[in-house]
This record gives sequence, C-alpha cells and structure tokens, in this order.
Amino acid sequence: SCSSPRLTSTSFTTLDGTILTNIAYVSQFKLSCDGEPADIPLYAEVGGKPLSVVKSKETNEYVVSWLEETKKAPRGNFEIKVYDDEGYAAVRKAQRNGEDTSAVQTVGVVVLYHPGAYTGPWINSELAAVIVAFGVLYYAVTTKTKLEA
Amino acid sequence: MDNNGWIRYPAFNSSSGPFTMDNWLKICLLVVFAVATTGNEEATPAKLLFSKQILNKYLVEGMDIVIKYSLFNVGGTAALDVQVADNTFGPQDFEVVGGQLKVTIDRIAPGSNATHVVVIRPSKFGYFNFTAAEVTYLPSENAAEALVGLSSEPGQGAIVPFKEYDRKFSPHLLDWLSFAVMSMPSLVLPFALWFSSKSKYEAVLTQKKDK
Repeated sequence: SCSSPRLTSTSFTTLDGTILTNIAYVSQFKLSCDGEPADIPLYAEVGGKPLSVVKSKETNEYVVSWLEETKKAPRGNFEIKVYDDEGYAAVRKAQRNGEDTSAVQTVGVVVLYHPGAYTGPWINSELAAVIVAFGVLYYAVTTKTKLEA
Repeated sequence: MDNNGWIRYPAFNSSSGPFTMDNWLKICLLVVFAVATTGNEEATPAKLLFSKQILNKYLVEGMDIVIKYSLFNVGGTAALDVQVADNTFGPQDFEVVGGQLKVTIDRIAPGSNATHVVVIRPSKFGYFNFTAAEVTYLPSENAAEALVGLSSEPGQGAIVPFKEYDRKFSPHLLDWLSFAVMSMPSLVLPFALWFSSKSKYEAVLTQKKDK
C-alpha cells in the first residue's frame, strides 16, 4: 500500500443552472507515494456515497465525478475521501457493522468547492418593469382622484 | 391366493426393491451435491452495457455540455482493464473543461456499475450528431482477446449560437434602462408642468391666507 501519500488535485463544477438539468462535479487528482507517482487502485466516497474512480493514462491522473440535480445541488465544500484497497475494505466492513467510517485512515481527502450555479436573476426583469409601471400608474391615478375630489 | 381374493403387490415401503424411498432420497441428495460442488466453472463472462447521455436542456455555443457515461456489468465475472474512449469530440470543435475523454477503469464487478462525467464546451454552432463512444474490456481474467463495445448514441442536437441564447434568456437590463429613459419625457414633462403650477398655486394660496 501507499506510504507517505500526497494528493494534488484540480476540480471543476458546472456553474450554469439554466441550460443544464444536472450539475456536474469533477475532481482530477494525482497521487504520489514516497515521491513516485502511484498506479494503485483507489476508491472514493463523498458524503457516504461511493464514487467511481477512473484513471486517465494520458495525464496519469485519477478522476472522480458525480452529478446532482440542479435544484438540489448544494453549494460549498465537498470532502472526497480517497482510500486504497485496505482502507476501502475497512470502510465496507465498518458500514456492514454499522460503525463510524470516519475512523478509517484515508490516503487523502480532496476538497471540492462549488460556488453554486446561476439559475437566473432573482426577479425577472420583465416582472420588475411591470411592477415599476404599475407603481407609476397607481401614483398618477391616486393623485388625480385627490385633485378631483 | 390368500387375502380373500386380493392379489398382494409389493408395498411401497422402505424395505423392498432398488427404487425405494430411502434410495430416492439418497440419489437426490447426491445429484444436488454434485451440481453444487461443480461450482462456477461455467459462469457467464463479463458483458458491459454502455450508455452515453447528454444532460442539457439547451446546447449553446461556448457554454457547458455535460455528458454522462454509464457502464453496467450484466455478466457473471468482473470486467477487467475497461478502457473508455470518446473520439467523437474533435479538439477543433470542442474544448474539454472537466474530466477526460479517454479513461481506464481497472475492474467492474459483476452486477455493479461505473459512471463517468465529462464537461465540454463547443466552440462552433450548428447541428452536431452525437455518436457513440467506444469501450474495450477483458471479459474474464484469462481472456485472450479484449471485447469492443459501443455506447448508445444521443443523436443529433442543435448547438445554438450564443447571441440567440442571450436574446432569449438574458435579463436585458440595459434594454430596460434605455426603455425607461426613453419613456421618461412623456411622463416627466406633464408631471413637471403640473407640479410647478401646483406649488406656485399653493404658494399664492398660503400668501393670501397670511394676509
């Protein structure tokens, strides 16, 4: 297994909530054991949910990715826990016994920040224009009736 | 003939002939045991189902397209050295901003799945035919050849130019502001006239009152 592991990562989340049905969270990381790039099988979990870890041979990176529905996609920091073979077996065993899995040692934790997706302006600009126009009309009508009275 | 004319046939009890109840039970147990212990030498090799989905409501030039690749192993053994390659997005037309188009999965256990997400951005607009990605994998540990499979095809999609998307969906704040400025004269001029004459009239009225 890996001794003195070091993880370096880059992450990406989609930021548009208007044309996408799901928000994608992607994190690419490199693992080095004792200063050498490693090629061991890894397993990842975020929020208790297991993730598929794939490898890119071209860039020698591991990639984890998952999707959330745009409406439900929470913003903020996501902790992706990365385990090796032994670590993951220990996690599964702890889950079967109903124990806490945070005690298992990870190879590393990758933090992914999602600032939230843009789902359109708070008030539709047409609606704002209608409200302003209505306000002006209201003022005009009430002043006029005051004058006529 | 004894038994008052009734012919006595051998009774179906445990103590006569080769096909007795006891023997049947033993034969059945033997057969079950034999089947159980021959085990999974004949287990089906791994077979992967591969789907490719585009998760977009609109495809806009210069904005993200999210593609989800799912692999599901319906065979009885684990698929090994699964290599997924999507060569349908040329680098001149698309820019990869998240994930990788060529990835390897070491092992997909039987009955389990693996998903991978890639985010790309088109640099051109027009009609684009989203075709299949390829997967190659070893269906079992001792397999001589790798199997090649194709994913599902999402089909043709229209990538709209950014101007069209902007025209439909942006809040057009500048346009509304210029509209307000242009509609000001017809509202503000009469109001100003009325207000000035009203305040003059009120001033005169209070002057008269004071007198």
